[in-house]
This record gives sequence, structure tokens and C-alpha cells, in this order.
Amino acid sequence: MKSSRATRVRRRSERLRLYAARAVLFVAILAGWEAAARARLIDPYFVSMPSKLAATVVGWFASGFIYPHIWATIHEAVVGLAVGIVGGVVVGVLFAFSPFVAGLFHPIIVMFNAMPRIALAPLFIVWLGIGLASKVAMVVSLVFFIVFFSTYAGLREVDVNLINHVRVMGGGRRDLMRHVLLPSALTWIFASLRACVGFAVIGAIIGEYLGADRGIGWIVQYGESLFDSNMVLAGLAVLMIFVATLDGSLGWLERRFSHWKQKPL
Amino acid sequence: MITLDRVTRTFETPTGDFTAVRDVSFRVDAGRFVSLVGPSGCGKTTLLGLIAGLVPVTEGRIVIGDRPVSGAVPPDIGYLFQRDALLPWKTALQNVALPLTIRGAPAAETRERATAWLRRVGLAGFEGYYPHQLSGGMRKRVSLATTLIYGPTVLLMDEPFSALDVQTRNLMENELLDLWAETRNTVLFVTHDLEEAIALSDEVLVLTAGPGRIKATYPIPLVRPRNVVEIRFREEFTRLYEQIWKDLRDEVQQSYARATQI
Repeated sequence: MKSSRATRVRRRSERLRLYAARAVLFVAILAGWEAAARARLIDPYFVSMPSKLAATVVGWFASGFIYPHIWATIHEAVVGLAVGIVGGVVVGVLFAFSPFVAGLFHPIIVMFNAMPRIALAPLFIVWLGIGLASKVAMVVSLVFFIVFFSTYAGLREVDVNLINHVRVMGGGRRDLMRHVLLPSALTWIFASLRACVGFAVIGAIIGEYLGADRGIGWIVQYGESLFDSNMVLAGLAVLMIFVATLDGSLGWLERRFSHWKQKPL
Repeated sequence: MITLDRVTRTFETPTGDFTAVRDVSFRVDAGRFVSLVGPSGCGKTTLLGLIAGLVPVTEGRIVIGDRPVSGAVPPDIGYLFQRDALLPWKTALQNVALPLTIRGAPAAETRERATAWLRRVGLAGFEGYYPHQLSGGMRKRVSLATTLIYGPTVLLMDEPFSALDVQTRNLMENELLDLWAETRNTVLFVTHDLEEAIALSDEVLVLTAGPGRIKATYPIPLVRPRNVVEIRFREEFTRLYEQIWKDLRDEVQQSYARATQI
């Protein structure tokens, strides 16, 4: 099971090299952009330049301007995520345990899932106003289906052998749920969680973009209305940092909860 | 004691009804080790599923002890599956402890007994390992401990060692006999390997090619304790083997012919 010291050292140096190469690539892209903008090969009025962007972003953080907007987006995404996950799990469990319910609602679920969510956003704003509720609805409409489908699949795809094994040793419905079905579904749900977080932020941003008075999406939209490409790009940069941090922490959580899984060689 | 009385099981398939076993009657007396041999596809696994109450019978009656099996898993039954059925998200110790956990035993006692059983199957020190970290033979030992820890009076085994290499397999067979010598539960052992059946059992039942029926019953009067490897060199063993093989051969050929026909 344990790799030898030599392999560990080699793997580590390979990893360091990869990180270094990534950093070089990143810096090269930024430097190329900056140089091209300064040499007027590309017009900084439309594409800004990294130094200006950095100054804007740093300014936002320094003045405290950005915090209420980040907070608004987090708030919408997190509330929507919570509602979507709970709803998806509950409906997924219902579907898995009642073939009748599953058969009855299946066409409706498929229809709703096929609908482009961005087309729903204006409706949500008309129905629920430009506040929190319309953004939450947007996020839920994205997250719910992902969680629902993975819960349903996770419960249906459980190895029959495992179920029989626990039944034969005297396990009832509750034991099956606790020791077999839930842990099995949980691995599927966890696998979908990272996608969910990405979609939750996207949902919140789209909602903000189409009608709001705060949030990162609102900054982007506002910058656009002023033809201020620097502001739009800075808003996007904040968004990128935000999503990358979230995704990184989720990856860490996922690794912690799947310690029983076989690691790929 | 297990009694089967004219048991038939039919499955509905898209191409019509399929009868897996028809009119099977036999009895396994309490404390006996009985093997069921037959060609592949003769309904051996189906029979075990019926006895374990996992699948309902279409016709006939199954009685364990004095309780008829109907619609539920009978209490105190153990089932060792062909593919191992350990829960991948539980450690070896948690897997072995699960039957006691389900029965609501106190945590300390559960832990102690599960640790003792792991030691008994030669896996002391592997308590915290997950199934994927164990070899095939080790996983079988964990399965065996999981099945024996709650002291089932009836033990059903479905080709439990067929996926193991020959050496590990012989080791496990001997260990099974040692454990069984202590517990003396009623065992119904399904296999397609006649040598294994003779080496382990008090009695061998031969099933026909599907739909399975009992073709013949052979008592195995070999002395115990046995060593499954050495017993194969005995003259008695060879004689029994030849005798039963004559019966089995026809069924195997029939089953093979059927499988290759299409």
C-alpha cells in the first residue's frame, strides 16, 4: 500500500514541476496581454489590461466597495444551494422508493430539466421581484435537478448483492437505508456537489445580471451599461477568484469523505 | 433442518416464462454439511435465494427448523455470496460488526466480539482496512466472519471460493471445515466443483441441467476431520468421484450443448 520513499520524492518533484509550469504559463498570458495592450496591438478601451484590472480589483477591496456585492452573491447561491440540495435529495428518495410516484412525475421532471434556465430568469424576476427570492429560484432551478438525478441514480444503482447481504443478516428497511442506500447515494451526491456549486454561482449571477441592485452579476451588468470594459472584466476576475476558492475547498471536503475509495493508480 | 417440498420457481422474462427449478424436494438434516452440485445455469443460486427468503417460491414449500419460509428472510440464517458483498464504505471491523450493530448489541461488546472473530479468521491487525485494501482471500475471510458472528443455525454458501486461486481456496476450505467442526450448523454448499463438494460434505446432491431437479443423492462416508488436499489421494475419494461424475457428466454435456446451440 505504501509507496517507497524514492517514488514519493519523485512524485513530489513531478508535482512541483507541474505547478511551476502552470505559473509560468499564467504569467506569460498576463504579460502578453499587458504588452499587447500597451503596444496598442489591441485596444485597452475594449479589453483593458492586467495592470488596470489589478488596480481596480485591489481598489474595490481596499475601499470595501466589493464586500456587500460578494456577500449578496454568496447569500443567494448558498440559500439556493441548500433548498436545491434538500429538495433534490427528498424527491430523489421519493422516486427511488415509489415506482408510481416516479412514473407519474417523470415526464414533468424531464420537461422542466430540458427547459433553458436562462429563459426562466426574466419570469422569476417578474414573479418574485429583483430581491433575493428571484435569484434563489434561479439557483434552485439549476441545482435541484443535478442533485435529484444523482440521488435517484445512487439509490437505484445500489448493488443488489449488498442489499441481500444486509437483509440476510437480519437488516430491516431502516438498516438498509442507514448502512447501504444512504452511503451509496452519498457518494453520488458528493460527486455532483462540485458541479452544483458552480451552477449555484452561475444561477445567482444570471439572476443578478438580469435584474438586481447588488451582487457580482450586478457589477458586471452595471459596467456593461457604462461601456466600462475594465469594470466588467474586474467583476469577472472577482467571480473567478471566488469560484476557484469555493471549488478548491469542496475538492478538499470530497477527498476527506471518500477515504474508503480505491485511489486510481 | 432444511426441507424443500416440490419447490418450483418461475421467472417472467420478456420472451416468456422461464422455469429455473422444478419440483425440487430434499432435506438437509440439522448439523449436516450437504453440497449441491450441478452444471452452470441449473438453478443452484435460485434455490439458495428461495431458501433464504430473498425470492418467493412459485409453488411448493420450504421449511427451516419448523418454520415455513414465506415472504421474509428467516431468522438465524447465514448466506455467503459468490461475489463478496462487503460494504465498501465500512472497514473490516465495521463489516464484521454489522450483524451485531443491527441487532442493537452494546458498542463495546460488538467491538470486542468482531475483533475476536477477525482474529479467528486470521486477520488480526487488519481491523481498520477497507475491503479494496484486502486481497480476495482476505475479503472472503471477512465475509465468513461476518456470516458466522451472529451464530446462524443454517448456513447457505454459494460457490464462495470459486473466485480464489487454488492454494487460497484449499486453505479456506480447510478453515471452513475447522470452523464448522466447532459451530456444527446446518450447511448447504453450492458448487459446480465436484471435488470440492466431496471433500467438504456429508452428502452430495446432483442437480439436472435447467430446470434443475434432484437427480441423485450420494452419502459421503469419508472420516472427519479431513484435510481437503490430502483426502483427494484416497482411493475411496476417487471411487466416489467416478461414481458421481457419471451422473453429473450427462448433465454438464446437456447444459453445454444447450449453451452452444444458439
